[in-house]
Amino acid sequence: MKLTRRTALASAAAVSSFSIARLGRAADSIKIGVCSPLTGPAAEVGAIQLNSLKLSVKEVNAAGGVLGRPVELIVEDDQTTNPGIVLAFSRLAANESISAFIGSIRSTQVNAMAPDAEKVAKPVMFGGTDPTLTHNGYKWLFRCRPNDSFSARVIADYGINTLGLKKWALVCSSDAFGTGGQNAMINTLKAAGLEPALVQPYANQQADFTPVVLAVKNSGADVIASYFTFEPDLAVFARQVRQLGVRIPWIGSPSIISPVTRNLAKNALFGTYGIADFTPDANDESKAFTAAYGAAYKGAIPDSGWTYDAMKILARAMNDAKTTEAVKVRAAIIAIKGLKGAEGTYNYDENGDGLRGYNIVKNVDGNAVYEKHIEFAS
Amino acid sequence: MFLQLLFTGLGIGAIYALVALGFVLLIRAASVVNFGQGEFAMLGAYLLVIFFNLLTLPYWLSIILAIVLMAGFGVLFAGATYWPLRHRGGLPVIISTIGASIFLENMVLVLYGPNSEQIDGLWDTPGWDVGPVYVDSQYLSIIVVAALLVALQYFIFEKTLLGKKLQATSQDKEMASLLGIPVAFMILLTFAYSSSLGAIAGILVAPILFVSTGMAALIALKAFAANIIGGYGSIPGAILGGLALGVVETMGAAYISVPYKDAFAFLMLLTFLMARPQGLFGERIAEKA
Repeated sequence: MKLTRRTALASAAAVSSFSIARLGRAADSIKIGVCSPLTGPAAEVGAIQLNSLKLSVKEVNAAGGVLGRPVELIVEDDQTTNPGIVLAFSRLAANESISAFIGSIRSTQVNAMAPDAEKVAKPVMFGGTDPTLTHNGYKWLFRCRPNDSFSARVIADYGINTLGLKKWALVCSSDAFGTGGQNAMINTLKAAGLEPALVQPYANQQADFTPVVLAVKNSGADVIASYFTFEPDLAVFARQVRQLGVRIPWIGSPSIISPVTRNLAKNALFGTYGIADFTPDANDESKAFTAAYGAAYKGAIPDSGWTYDAMKILARAMNDAKTTEAVKVRAAIIAIKGLKGAEGTYNYDENGDGLRGYNIVKNVDGNAVYEKHIEFAS
Repeated sequence: MFLQLLFTGLGIGAIYALVALGFVLLIRAASVVNFGQGEFAMLGAYLLVIFFNLLTLPYWLSIILAIVLMAGFGVLFAGATYWPLRHRGGLPVIISTIGASIFLENMVLVLYGPNSEQIDGLWDTPGWDVGPVYVDSQYLSIIVVAALLVALQYFIFEKTLLGKKLQATSQDKEMASLLGIPVAFMILLTFAYSSSLGAIAGILVAPILFVSTGMAALIALKAFAANIIGGYGSIPGAILGGLALGVVETMGAAYISVPYKDAFAFLMLLTFLMARPQGLFGERIAEKA
């Protein structure tokens, strides 16, 4: 074919219009910014959370997307550190096309990024369980797990009413998550007319917990309640608890029952109890999510469903609001009642809390066995 | 309680001491502060995981293979971080080792993933109750191995011709070369031994701390602090500094405050830097006016 000026111009116009069409489609997607621990101590569990989120996006898009547009994730590494998440969030916040964000499961990191999230004024879904995060006046934070005021109430309820134990040793990380859990436990026990036999904070990432274990042993406590941030810390503590002859029942925050911890600690955790916001066989939604996750990721079993739910909540809110405009999406999230998710049934309040109960799970020979669900009305 | 804390403190201190020994070796022989020493420990532990957990080789064979391979890796490490910068003074080499340590940690993360690995200890028995003290077999092994390695290292440096050559190389490379000492070989040998030493530390610590890319960061910084406390470049100093650090932080945590455990270790370091900067066994070196 002879290349004339006319055919050349026609080709150029065709190429340009194709590029513009492609750009148009990319700009049409609903963008969600994600701060995820791709590296650092939480990278292991972070990978499961990101996989769950990708699965959720795939399902949302397969069901027609949000407002008829596909959802696209933009992920930044938060490095499992506070400076890391602040940097990751600022990078995402600079992208004005992002409609909403998904933050961290670590309360301390959510605390670090919260002031910036307020300035950006767009919804941030997160998994940290420090109760103060939704009670400090932050308008844009929405929790996709129950907070620690409920975790403490569930731990205390099970310990006091089911196991019949009253002398508590509290072993908690000294970070925002652990301190929040510790204070919630103290307040819950106080409400039940009990004073803890021991309140023992510790600093994260320790090679040895002998002083902590000896403090528990010497306290005369008949039950341990723990809030550990990092799984390897919990596994080291569990081994030393057994080695130093502490044999009292132990009810822990969700990290005690995670597959990572169970794999590291092995028989040192047999017989312990954990509270779990997510349990694969707790309800129909968690069963369906677990099956879909297994099908997508070579039979793997997820240990949390909050990022999966976070995407579904955002999709529901944006569809209900019929817009991605932040103020209207915020109102639509708060209006969500009775939304069944993998973590439980979401009923959002003005503070940004949607869940109010936990499952009790027992470690039976390394397997997490569902015992019961304890739910509070408020 | 006191005896239990003392034993545990000595066990933790022996871990710091083992890693500190690797620092000392390179300081004495090549005048190099190697901030990749912690990563030597991490890589040694990962090699054990690969040989024992994944390839299911016998445990002791896996340990020997890991140590031997890490000796070879030490030579490569020297070639990449030290050799090209050897004529440019100490600081560029230090920065080079810091860069290499970051690279190695992230390389393992990319190749192996973020999963922590559990690995068996040296003995089937986890430990014994001896009176009021629980003696963890792995801690005991660390203390014994640290003592043996100190004795070996002291013997090599102070009593053998090889040790004299290594020290001569460290003090004046040009003069050592004029005296017929193969300087390049001595330095590569030191890196190989130092890397193996790091691997031994990592293998011994792995059953206690688990194997992860971050495992080195927990101990390397305190091992360096132990080195300063004991006396820069002193073998007995590194050992005593490590043990003292382990005991002080354990006792401080038990009797004063658990959350400030790390603070006790670094408070000790600050105290030494202000009151006795040459450390327990170091020589006071003053700059001439």
